[in-house]
Amino acid sequence: MGKAILEVRDLTTKYITRFKEDVYAVDHVSFTVDEGRTLGIAGESGCGKSTLALSLMGYYFSPLYYTGGQILVDGRDITNMSPDEVRKNVLGTEVAYIPQAAMNALNPTAKIIRFIEDVIHAHDLKMSKKDIYDLARERFEILNLPSDVLQKHAVELSGGMKQRTVIAISTILSPKVLIADEPSSALDVSSQKLVIKMMYDLMRMGYIKSMIFITHELPLLYNVTDNIMVMYAGQIVESGTAKQMVFDPVHPYSKGLMNSIIVPEEGTRDVKLTAIPGTPPNLKNPPQGCRFAERCKYAQHLCHTSFVTMRRFGEVDPGLLGGEDEGDAVAERNRAYRCIVPIHELKAAYAEEDAARRRDKEAVSYE
Amino acid sequence: MKGYKKYFGKKALWFFITLVCAVILNFILPRLMPGDPVAAITARIAGGMTSATAAQQIYQEYAEKFGTNQPMIVQFFTYIKNLLRGDLGLSFTQYPRPVSDILKSSVIWTVCLQLPAILTGWIIGNVLGALAAYIRKGFDKVLLPLSLLISGLPAFGLAIILLVVFGVNLKIAPISGGYAQNLIPSFTPTFIKSVIGHYWLPFFSIVIIAIGGQAIGMRSMSIYELNSDYVKYSRFLGIKDRKIVGYVFRNAMLPQITGLALSIGTMIGGALVAEVIFNYPGLGSTILRGITGSDYPMISGSTLIITLMVLAASFIIDIVYGFIDPRVKAAQIE
Repeated sequence: MGKAILEVRDLTTKYITRFKEDVYAVDHVSFTVDEGRTLGIAGESGCGKSTLALSLMGYYFSPLYYTGGQILVDGRDITNMSPDEVRKNVLGTEVAYIPQAAMNALNPTAKIIRFIEDVIHAHDLKMSKKDIYDLARERFEILNLPSDVLQKHAVELSGGMKQRTVIAISTILSPKVLIADEPSSALDVSSQKLVIKMMYDLMRMGYIKSMIFITHELPLLYNVTDNIMVMYAGQIVESGTAKQMVFDPVHPYSKGLMNSIIVPEEGTRDVKLTAIPGTPPNLKNPPQGCRFAERCKYAQHLCHTSFVTMRRFGEVDPGLLGGEDEGDAVAERNRAYRCIVPIHELKAAYAEEDAARRRDKEAVSYE
Repeated sequence: MKGYKKYFGKKALWFFITLVCAVILNFILPRLMPGDPVAAITARIAGGMTSATAAQQIYQEYAEKFGTNQPMIVQFFTYIKNLLRGDLGLSFTQYPRPVSDILKSSVIWTVCLQLPAILTGWIIGNVLGALAAYIRKGFDKVLLPLSLLISGLPAFGLAIILLVVFGVNLKIAPISGGYAQNLIPSFTPTFIKSVIGHYWLPFFSIVIIAIGGQAIGMRSMSIYELNSDYVKYSRFLGIKDRKIVGYVFRNAMLPQITGLALSIGTMIGGALVAEVIFNYPGLGSTILRGITGSDYPMISGSTLIITLMVLAASFIIDIVYGFIDPRVKAAQIE
């Protein structure tokens, strides 16, 4: 395992609404991404995953505000820098962003190369037009984009080309962390695969050091990321390796999330998809205790009032999860991972449920 | 490039068809107005005459001269024939002055009044609108309602208010005309001074209304652009705010340019109200005089100029737009 490229500690950011209410969309989030690794962040719409992406940039503007925590990029804390310092020395060079709406991310009236020049000049890099052009052409080639794209306007490019152009522009300054917010939601499955492969190529060639994928498409995360983190109502409810999270999630919410998708494996045919009942809590007044308690069928009385650290059996990525002991220090460090239901009880409940589902299936199928 | 040429070829053809239709309507519509212009002229000339035969003779003579005694269709072809030679005919009411001569002397007044006024209003309005979108807060809260108020004012309403306040009550501006009545147009200092003195009231009556409309349009376009995805993306790439504002205003400006071209195209028609109220010697007043006197050639001539200007403005803007907005160019080439 390489060294930590991105370390986030207790990051909290909030939106201030038009009516001066605080909405904590990212609430005490901590995690680490190592060099050469990819992290996937999953969760339903409005759970704060896109806000987390924006918060990680360290560059805040209305209505998003920073309230606490640290973001260390390659050991350097970017949360105590001035906005202009972040703009010049972090954005694009340390942390880069691929927006959700890559289709509209390019200025419609500027040529691609002009935009790239603006990006490079914004960081006070002394590069001639020729150097910029050569750099851009080299990167565009990696992404399988012909060099005449540079002289075109966004409107002249197809959807896939726009997506790749955005990736090329975001990575042109060789950032250490690349955050892709729904990088493939507008593409069909085969283009998705291609785009993600190209992003990996960039990482393999050393132009980027780590990646964070944010998506609601869990199968995508399972296929392309090393670790997965599940977010709910602004908090991280569980994290682990991609395999663990898809095949052996523990938290009732992650379990529910995984049950709501199809994982292509043996026996998929027999798996009944289930939805999680209810809706996420309003973050203007988040519930005390576990935020998922309202929708959790295993919720106990205590769930609604206080947190207890969740414990997990089996293998655990120690960088991401606190481990097995219940010590106060660990509990404190892993405040994002909470569930008071003792895990063995949960396991038993899950097993019972699975058995029941299988029975249902047998009773109705093959009619 | 081939698609581009084809696009403009098609466009030119449609413009030609529009022009033909407009010319036909310009000819027919004035002649459908009730009233006989020749009878009115006869009455004026034969005012003191008692002999009915003499009056009849004068009437015949003028009807012959103007061709009004011929069937409409014959008149039409005569009109077209003359038009192709650049001859707009003779004015009925100011006989024997040729229409082109009258138009020439009045167009210059209109253009000199309207063009600077439209441009000034457009520039100030856009700057204010862009600032309101960028600054928001108090500036926007004052500017928006004010802009809505003044752009909602009818042109004649504002003109009359200005006239009453500055001309009648404060007596700091002349209330009518393009220059003092006792002067003859010439390039003398007295005359120029008089023109400037008469200029600013009608000028501001146009500018103020233009500012309101332009500011509202620019404000909402800028807000829309400021919230667009490329602005957010540019920010996260570390591009300076000042540069991003440059992108935004350039893009927000595009629809405003259409507005400018159209208001320049329709400026002569738009001039009517201000010119009539201030009795300004421009084309608006000329059209009004033509209409009240059933002066067919003059109405047709004036409306022809308006038609040509609107068509030219929209044709030019189409070409210019292709260069400034790649999206439009892409659509044109398709």
